[in-house]
Amino acid sequence: MGPRLARVVPVVHTERLTKDYGPVLALDSLTLDIGPGITGLVGANGAGKSTLIKVLLGLVPATGGRAEVLGHDIGSDGAAIRAAVGYLPEHDCLPPDVSASDFVVHLATMSGLPRVAARERAAEVLRHVGLAEERYRPMGGYSTGMKQKAKLAQALAHDPSLVLLDEPTNGLDPAARDEMLGLVQRIGRDFGIAVIVTSHLLGELERVSDHVVVLDGGRLLRASRTDDFLDATGVLIVEVIGQDAQQRMADALTGVGVMTIPRGSVLTVDAAGSPDLHDLIRDTATDLGVGLVRLHADHRRIEDVFADAEETSDG
Amino acid sequence: MADPSVATPEGRSVIHDLGYRPYTGPRLGSGPIARALVGTGFRNTFGLGRSGRSKVLPFLLLGLNLLPAFIVGGVMVLVGLDELPIAFAEYASTTQVLLGIFVASQAPVLFSRDLRHGTISLYLARPLRSDTYALARWSSLLGATLLFLVLPVLVLYTVALLGEMDVSDQTADAAVAIGLAALLALSLTGVAGLIASWSTRRGFAVAATIALLLIGNGIVTAIQEIAREEGQPQVGEVAGLFSPYSLYRGLMASWTDVETATPPTSTAMEVTYLVVFLALSAACLGGLVWRYRRVATA
Repeated sequence: MGPRLARVVPVVHTERLTKDYGPVLALDSLTLDIGPGITGLVGANGAGKSTLIKVLLGLVPATGGRAEVLGHDIGSDGAAIRAAVGYLPEHDCLPPDVSASDFVVHLATMSGLPRVAARERAAEVLRHVGLAEERYRPMGGYSTGMKQKAKLAQALAHDPSLVLLDEPTNGLDPAARDEMLGLVQRIGRDFGIAVIVTSHLLGELERVSDHVVVLDGGRLLRASRTDDFLDATGVLIVEVIGQDAQQRMADALTGVGVMTIPRGSVLTVDAAGSPDLHDLIRDTATDLGVGLVRLHADHRRIEDVFADAEETSDG
Repeated sequence: MADPSVATPEGRSVIHDLGYRPYTGPRLGSGPIARALVGTGFRNTFGLGRSGRSKVLPFLLLGLNLLPAFIVGGVMVLVGLDELPIAFAEYASTTQVLLGIFVASQAPVLFSRDLRHGTISLYLARPLRSDTYALARWSSLLGATLLFLVLPVLVLYTVALLGEMDVSDQTADAAVAIGLAALLALSLTGVAGLIASWSTRRGFAVAATIALLLIGNGIVTAIQEIAREEGQPQVGEVAGLFSPYSLYRGLMASWTDVETATPPTSTAMEVTYLVVFLALSAACLGGLVWRYRRVATA
């Protein structure tokens, strides 16, 4: 199997995939296609993210439906899937008395790489994730950020075609979080490895993923390009500074027939059907002598998808 | 700006980021992966590939276990005895406490650590099935236990041959001792492995295994001695079925010249000893496989 096969077949394909734990229906007839690139998997605790990952790895048998990962059937070809997929679990998985270097070499051999190749690959992926001299120290003394890097290195050790990253930024401080998100982006864009990444922080997925899949109660709530989630709402955001600027700006715009609604320190303008509104707002600000700080389209956030879904289910 | 077509200026080196390079080499199947896991596990049992501190206990125990064999060798050379002061098979029975501590302390290295630190999920997300993983871990411990049991026999055997004893007699006795050692290693590996796989705490696994093996053997031995004193040897025979060490002693008494308190007296009882010995080992191995299947699907 060529490692770049991910480009031609869907990375993950499920059809009415169901996992019934008896009291809990973890996956409810889930039909889904995930392509190459970076896909964010969103859902609250218990939405079925972890179950989906376990089923896709062929560890837990599905109770209904079918699924393929990289063209391999999860029921009959689990070993082939696990050879071609890298996995970063959410929980701790590092023995404290082993160095990252030895650990990644060992796990690369457990993925089928010969000894010498495993050493080379381990050195390379540890360099890519940014573990330098500390790779020779026991992992028990690592910071959370270093531990996450070691976990990422073992997931990449065998050059997988797909990596499943379960909450890779969990517990990281802002700087380490940015670094990890940067790595996730490099894996998907520069390394050419398909990425499925889960997070409970939606803002992170907005930043790094090309696609977003939203699970809720084991069902698919929505799957689309990240851009589509964030499509413009037809509203402009206007922020001005100066003496009493916001009120004067609102009055002036009302005077030229543009209705504004204050939202905190900014004004929102419903721009639907008025293509030259940008120029009008700029000219109005100039005439008033107030500073125009920002003027841009109001994008939605992924959170709004959940808000929409709640409204729908309430109504 | 430097001209990029000019080679690196003299005396200055540049680090080139080669970017990510895909791996295009061979990928091995389950067989070689399992063999690699067995090999690594075997080394880890003696602390190799782990911290310096973790080498102390296994090598100390191994050294202590070999010490009597070397002392016997020294005595043979100095005094020139015409037979070994201790039979090959008897050796393991004499050093059973060391053996028990070795197996109890090293089984958690293979079975508890991966569960305790969550590393098991990284193994299970790789090509090996949970059954193969369990079997590989078991094989590592079996290999280490066999080495622990067989090394002193080999030392004594060498001493016997250097002392110009009858080669065919000694070879036959050593072969029986190694067969018995294999049976003991199978059962101890199973018991210690199964306990360790149910305990994520190393200390608990060590204590429980030592308690079961050594205290269990102590109780059986006491019953056997009392049974002999009271003239009820059949009670002792039956009691001997309840501990790996007493099973070993029973078969040793049947297959070699060594005498024990209440050996199995009938062929039926000998067969029962052998069957129980093997069934115990098989049941423990089955339990291990079942245990890891449950971990995988949890």
